[in-house]
Amino acid sequence: MLEISHLYKKYLNSERFSVEDLSLSLKPGEIFGFLGQNGAGKSTTIKCLTGIYPFNSGSITICGYDIQKDPINAKLNMGYVPDNHSVYEKLTGREYVNYTADLYKVSKRDRNDRFDRYVSQFKLNKAVDSQIKSYSHGMKQKICIIAALIHNPKLWVLDEPMMGLDHQSMAEILKRMDDHCAEGNTVFFSSHNLDLVAKICDRAAIIRDGKLQDVIDLHIKGNKETLEKRFCEITATEQDIINERTLLRRG
Amino acid sequence: MNGNIRTLLRLEIKNRFSNYSLTDFKSYLKLLFTIALLGAIIYAIYWVAGLFFEMFETGGMLYEALVLLVSAIFLFMLFTGISSTIKVLYYKGDNEILMRYPVSGAEVFISKTLFLFLSQFIVTTVVMAPFLVAYASVSGLGLAFYVKIPVPILLMVFINFFLSNILAIPIMHITNRIRNKFILIIIGLAVLVTAGFALYMLIFNSMVTYMNDTEFSVFSDEMVEIIENVAKWLIPAKYFADIMVGKELYIAYPALIGMLGLALIGMILIIYFLYAKTLLNNVEVEGSAFKHVTRNRRRPIFIALLRKEFLQVFRSVNYSFQYFVLACAMPVMVYFCNEITGRLGENQVGEQIALGMTVLVMLIFATVITSFAATSTSREGDNFYHTKVAPVSIRTQLFAKFTMFLLVSIGANAVCTVVLYFTKQVTLSDALWLFVIVELAAVAETLIAMRMDIAHPYFNLSGEGEVVNNNASTTLAVAMGFAVAVVTGIVCMFLGYLGNTGFTIDIPLTIMNREVGQIAFVPEYMYYAVTVMVVIFFIAAVLGYTIGLKKAYNKIAR
Repeated sequence: MLEISHLYKKYLNSERFSVEDLSLSLKPGEIFGFLGQNGAGKSTTIKCLTGIYPFNSGSITICGYDIQKDPINAKLNMGYVPDNHSVYEKLTGREYVNYTADLYKVSKRDRNDRFDRYVSQFKLNKAVDSQIKSYSHGMKQKICIIAALIHNPKLWVLDEPMMGLDHQSMAEILKRMDDHCAEGNTVFFSSHNLDLVAKICDRAAIIRDGKLQDVIDLHIKGNKETLEKRFCEITATEQDIINERTLLRRG
Repeated sequence: MNGNIRTLLRLEIKNRFSNYSLTDFKSYLKLLFTIALLGAIIYAIYWVAGLFFEMFETGGMLYEALVLLVSAIFLFMLFTGISSTIKVLYYKGDNEILMRYPVSGAEVFISKTLFLFLSQFIVTTVVMAPFLVAYASVSGLGLAFYVKIPVPILLMVFINFFLSNILAIPIMHITNRIRNKFILIIIGLAVLVTAGFALYMLIFNSMVTYMNDTEFSVFSDEMVEIIENVAKWLIPAKYFADIMVGKELYIAYPALIGMLGLALIGMILIIYFLYAKTLLNNVEVEGSAFKHVTRNRRRPIFIALLRKEFLQVFRSVNYSFQYFVLACAMPVMVYFCNEITGRLGENQVGEQIALGMTVLVMLIFATVITSFAATSTSREGDNFYHTKVAPVSIRTQLFAKFTMFLLVSIGANAVCTVVLYFTKQVTLSDALWLFVIVELAAVAETLIAMRMDIAHPYFNLSGEGEVVNNNASTTLAVAMGFAVAVVTGIVCMFLGYLGNTGFTIDIPLTIMNREVGQIAFVPEYMYYAVTVMVVIFFIAAVLGYTIGLKKAYNKIAR
């Protein structure tokens, strides 16, 4: 579904690589969590695989299509929800979703079915014909999700999707992730929430300083419970370890 | 004034003039440049005002000119006062932040009101000064006049300030009601801009006539009678002028002081009953978003892109103004400018340069409406990622943006040439030629402006996701467009003059045993030369736009 092979990305005017030799392989039907501290390289990796950023070397294929060589087909198989919920705020929710559906060549019948289903699932029925600029933070996130799913992508990529959402909205998004995977598709999302990843993901990857540190299969017994410990071991700095030892000494 | 009010006032001033914080050499230079520019503008206003008063004096209507001018300034200051009051007193962002501080609502209100009053006072003085100095010099009143003017200026500041406070809330409600009637706004603005421009051109036209012969009045007897009658009824502006020239003071002072009292009472009542309520109701956002019930509809990709682009521009008053309103007003502007510049040129040189003048004027206006293309990528702002994630090539997406500009420029140019033809300013063949030439130049300028924006996008957006300031690319695009207009126009005028006057050049050269002899200029040379120039410009723009486009676009946000 998604193959990232030896990905290297360095920003212009930057001394170091933001993503270094990162390789990942995602299977159909799985929810994959992407973990890391702030600045670890999660968003950069996501922006490379969605085609927003060019990268220095390596390759990314989505459903067999190379994002650099065949970007149109690769993008047709992917839906993306950004971390800042940016949408065309002068459009109404329906206009925005229809615009996205047009770009992804979704038939009228499919778009009607999916639109009605998602709008009622996310409880946006009353707001969908209002201009997006009147939407709350959570509503903008939901309309982004509907737009990302309107073409039923095989790979659904979300960058920190739960940020600033209330419990109810989070539950609605998690339900949709589950449903999407149940249809044989793949979900790839970045998060800071270890409990959430442990709860819903099939596998999780931990990244630090742009390098992939570990990929954990959460179906293996005990891995869900030790995810937090493993994450702390990987991401802890020397200073963190010194602080921890000091605290332990003090009892 | 207590400490909190002083601090808040300082904060407000700092916030307003943050662009001019003097931290380094560059900031001092910027301030110096701004002051020099302001000085030049004030001097230009003084010079034009002097001409304006002289023109009226020759017609025996110097007092009426003062009344007309004071009326215009009074209205202008009232509009700007209302706009500032709405922005400073009622826009929520600022108030929300201030309310978190340990200051009372009354202190916030007083500091903001003081700021408004100070800025109203400064702007009124700066705007009025060059006109009044020009009046004093033309009328010969001199020092006696200067002694009298502080009182009416102060009265004007106070009355305008009170009226602005009274009118701000109802005007906010009205603008919120019509905020989403986009067609109405565009038509209204187009009519206003066109009417304003037509009025300006009429005055300019009279001034041109006056400059050609300063001995005679440009006003007919009927016109004099109309102006005198109108000036009598321009209340309260007439009273300000009366105080300045010491006429019927026994009416002017009581009338203005009475008006001042009434306006003050009205303002106190409005603030007492409506200020807090208005702030709490947040009327400035009420109705700013609208509901538009549609059905799901499938469109071809290109049409979807074009429609999105159109809605983004159409649903923004700022963008609509820059884009549609100026395009709608362009034919009227071109008609007036062409008539006047043509007459000016003909008087000075001859009718041979008329077509060159028309080319110059049309290219200048084409530049104004195409310069908006210099923000075509920047306007995406936070949504820029959409253009990269969408399964549509960058070329197709940019072509949709270009098509929007193309349709508008074709429409505006076509109407312009039709107007010029039917008003007999140009012949049919010249009209067709003009259309092709100006459209080619407009397309070239659009492509160059779009490419400049791709090279240096400027994602500085305001709260509603709009480009707040024009970027450097816009300035460059305008400068380039004006340069192209001037060069093309001059070449056209020069060759037109040579061709129509039967100019000949003797060339003492022999090529392949044949004497070149004499070259006699014919009018066709002008058409050939200008067409070749514009076609070269067009081809260069297309190549400049196309070569390396994808690479340049991918470089954004790297």
